[in-house]
Amino acid sequence: MPCPAMRESVRRFWGRLRPRLLLALPVLLGLASLGFGVSAWRADSANRSIAALEAGTDLDVGIGAPAPVLVARIGYLAGHGRLEETEPLVAALDRAGAADAASRARYRIANAQMREAFGLLTRGALDKAGPQVTLARQDYRRALRDRPDFWDAKFNLDVASRLIRDFPDFDRASGDEMRAEPKQIWTDIPGQPRGGP
Amino acid sequence: MIAACCALLLQAGAAVAQVRSVEVRVPRAFGYFLGDLVRAQADIAVDPGFSLQRASLPAPGPLTYWLDLRGITVEESPGRVRLHLTYQTFYAALDARQVAIPGFSVSLESAAAGGTTSAKAEIPGWSLGVSPLREVQPERHDDPAEYLRPDGRVSRLDPLPDMRAALVALGAALLALAALGYDRGWFARPGRPFAKAARGLRRLGREGEGGYREALRLIHRGLDETDGRRVLADDLPAFLDRHPTFRREGPALARFFEASRRAFFGREVEAARASLPWPEVEAGLRRLAAAELEA
Repeated sequence: MPCPAMRESVRRFWGRLRPRLLLALPVLLGLASLGFGVSAWRADSANRSIAALEAGTDLDVGIGAPAPVLVARIGYLAGHGRLEETEPLVAALDRAGAADAASRARYRIANAQMREAFGLLTRGALDKAGPQVTLARQDYRRALRDRPDFWDAKFNLDVASRLIRDFPDFDRASGDEMRAEPKQIWTDIPGQPRGGP
Repeated sequence: MIAACCALLLQAGAAVAQVRSVEVRVPRAFGYFLGDLVRAQADIAVDPGFSLQRASLPAPGPLTYWLDLRGITVEESPGRVRLHLTYQTFYAALDARQVAIPGFSVSLESAAAGGTTSAKAEIPGWSLGVSPLREVQPERHDDPAEYLRPDGRVSRLDPLPDMRAALVALGAALLALAALGYDRGWFARPGRPFAKAARGLRRLGREGEGGYREALRLIHRGLDETDGRRVLADDLPAFLDRHPTFRREGPALARFFEASRRAFFGREVEAARASLPWPEVEAGLRRLAAAELEA
């Protein structure tokens, strides 16, 4: 009968396996616990960075930081008038495929540009405010392209669009896409407020 | 469910005999805010054998200053070509109004034995009802920046699930460690005097005369603890009656008592060691510890 022999071999196999299993299990579970712990610690430290940035402390977080931290840093930079420093960070978000975070980051940049434009308008510098609004509109539009149901961006794009309206046939052919024609370097003529609200 | 809100039928003319009709359907043709996605579906009824030339489809991208084409997918079945179009409108309307979505044309071809026949299908333009998002004259604010929606908070990461998983894994690791320890006999188990004695024996090593007597003393202590009283050579039969699991070890225990008597009372440790050598002490104690587990 093969049955007892088989049972015997199974028993022997289990006898060999059991001590190894008993040894491997605590080690593997310990490693898993360590990994989860490190991940939780990272999330917590990212949250602390976000809180610090939102409280107004500058932290140089670097391009490899988690997406929400990058968004917080972009918000900080935009709020302190350092818009040119935000570009590599937004590009990093785009590369990482974090559409939601990139959308939120562009929204914050556009808001900063709009606030600057409002500041210029109240000081009477109309010619400088125009390009700012146009830039803000481009960023709102890109934010909406990444996240079509971003209602705050829709609202603010509406505000920006009423400051400078588009005119279909004689001004632009393709929306807020920045397209430098070979001969025409300036896609917008600064200092020409077109259309009232 | 797509209602034919905006349907336009092109009657096939003589020049486009291969294209029977073109129909554009949209789920709704009104009530769009800026930034909304607009989905449309174009059905082209064609003669059998005709298929769409993909290169003739419009490329996704900005179409007009307020309209982007976001994507086109094609679904082909015999006699019909269906285009799923996704637009995004950026028309900042001041009032509800109709805006025109431009049409386009696509090429179809049929490869027959006599050569390739190509045909053109005109997808007609249609109109879309856009609505304003805000009132024309919003409430006055002193600071114009207050017209904007705020920046909002950055969403936080949630460390809790990872933390919980870490704790669960840690608990499981400790349980597994405990199982390992139990299997390897790392802990003293109460109520197992012989196992304790066996551990003591391992620690003892093989150190001369004193070591041998100490080993015998360990076994005595094991017997005493098992019975809860002092067990001497004469008590052995009664002990075996009270603890039948050790009955198998009766002869070995008798030899042990003999050796013990020699070693402790007769001062003949060497003779005792000859009658019950160290390996037998170890083996006997191991068997006692094993029998104890069955009790």
